[in-house]
Amino acid sequence: MTFSFILNGEDVLVKARSADRLVDLLRERFGLLGPLADCRHGACGKCLILLDGRLAPSCMLPAFKVRGREVITLEGFSQTDEYADIKGGFEEAGLELCGFCDNGRILAVAALLERNARPSRDEILGELSAVPCRCADPETLTQAVAAAAERRARRLYHRARQ
Amino acid sequence: MLVSEVHQPRDLSELLSLMRRLPGATLYAGGTELLREQASRYVTLPPELVSIASLLELRQVSLTERFVELGACLTLTEVLELKESALPELLALALRGVATAPIRNLATIGGNLATRSRFMDVWPALACLDALVELRDGSGARWINLNRLADDDGRPAFPAGVLLSRIRIPLERWDAVALRKVGRCGYPSRDSAVFALAARAEKGILAEFRLAFAGERALRLRDVESRILGRRLPLSAKERSAFAVEYREAATVLSPELALRFGTLVDGALDLLSR
Repeated sequence: MTFSFILNGEDVLVKARSADRLVDLLRERFGLLGPLADCRHGACGKCLILLDGRLAPSCMLPAFKVRGREVITLEGFSQTDEYADIKGGFEEAGLELCGFCDNGRILAVAALLERNARPSRDEILGELSAVPCRCADPETLTQAVAAAAERRARRLYHRARQ
Repeated sequence: MLVSEVHQPRDLSELLSLMRRLPGATLYAGGTELLREQASRYVTLPPELVSIASLLELRQVSLTERFVELGACLTLTEVLELKESALPELLALALRGVATAPIRNLATIGGNLATRSRFMDVWPALACLDALVELRDGSGARWINLNRLADDDGRPAFPAGVLLSRIRIPLERWDAVALRKVGRCGYPSRDSAVFALAARAEKGILAEFRLAFAGERALRLRDVESRILGRRLPLSAKERSAFAVEYREAATVLSPELALRFGTLVDGALDLLSR
């Protein structure tokens, strides 16, 4: 059956079986390769997306669950100012993520900063525990998120003054 | 299976009528339990599926001075985001210990309580708080104590063909609450379980004491709880040790290793209460 949802800001129609996982739809039908299909039971964090603004593992979402909802992948998120804040913060802290976890970690930081502009170290590490990759040490991760939060706060401040 | 074969009722009455028409249908809210063990390319879904997560009647929060009522399809994250006065500390501790934030964004509180394969992390906390659950089927609605969703052997006994629609949690003052997860971290496994405790003292006397432990089986010893009540604090080392032994022996039905840990946790909790 064909159903619609909002993908990276655009209304899309897709024909799918309900047994299809969202991660496979995104990769195979829409060519969005940010989310990776690895563990397929929500444990590795490589397939994370934003579903109605909240972080969700796309491997745990059968197709019918996204009907009428809004999905943002890393590809869509990378067009935003928030992405630039996070990327900038990561570079400032010297954080280089591997190709497996960057999707999940960037979106996890985005979701965290959206609801908590100045997260503590514990909050940062708690949120990023959704992506259990060992390519970065906790200290660098914490510094990178703090730097991203600072950039975001500055940008929002300047925008409010304009 | 085609998407069109997933039933999506528009409201609670339509859902109840669907449940009458399709008695073997599986209710699908967060879906985390159904998909947890599936790592294959395609998801295996039951033949009749009813998607209930977006039903407004199952997503309401109602707060009074004495209790909070939660719709069963609120996600664990949504419950955690309730204001402090509506969220008992013990429940918050349990929710924070469930999996990771993305899973908590999908999993629902009703799903966490209605799992039939084992008891999930929120169960012992709400059992300790003597939460009530509203069950609905074709014949109507009834409220029962959550503890009755375990059978005489302590195994999950959630009835078939029934909808868990709301959870009513009493809002009481507790002087001490504790929650400890034992066994493998992350997803629940055979050797994992959760221990929850809530206690209240009045004028130096232990006025309320509840302790629940649940994994593959649940344990709540009301007779021991009633014998601990009314004792003057601090408890003596002898009293603490005697109660810990009672709990440990009762817990051997779970597993010898869990029983040992349970006994240690009880001893530690009673020690903490005595200070």
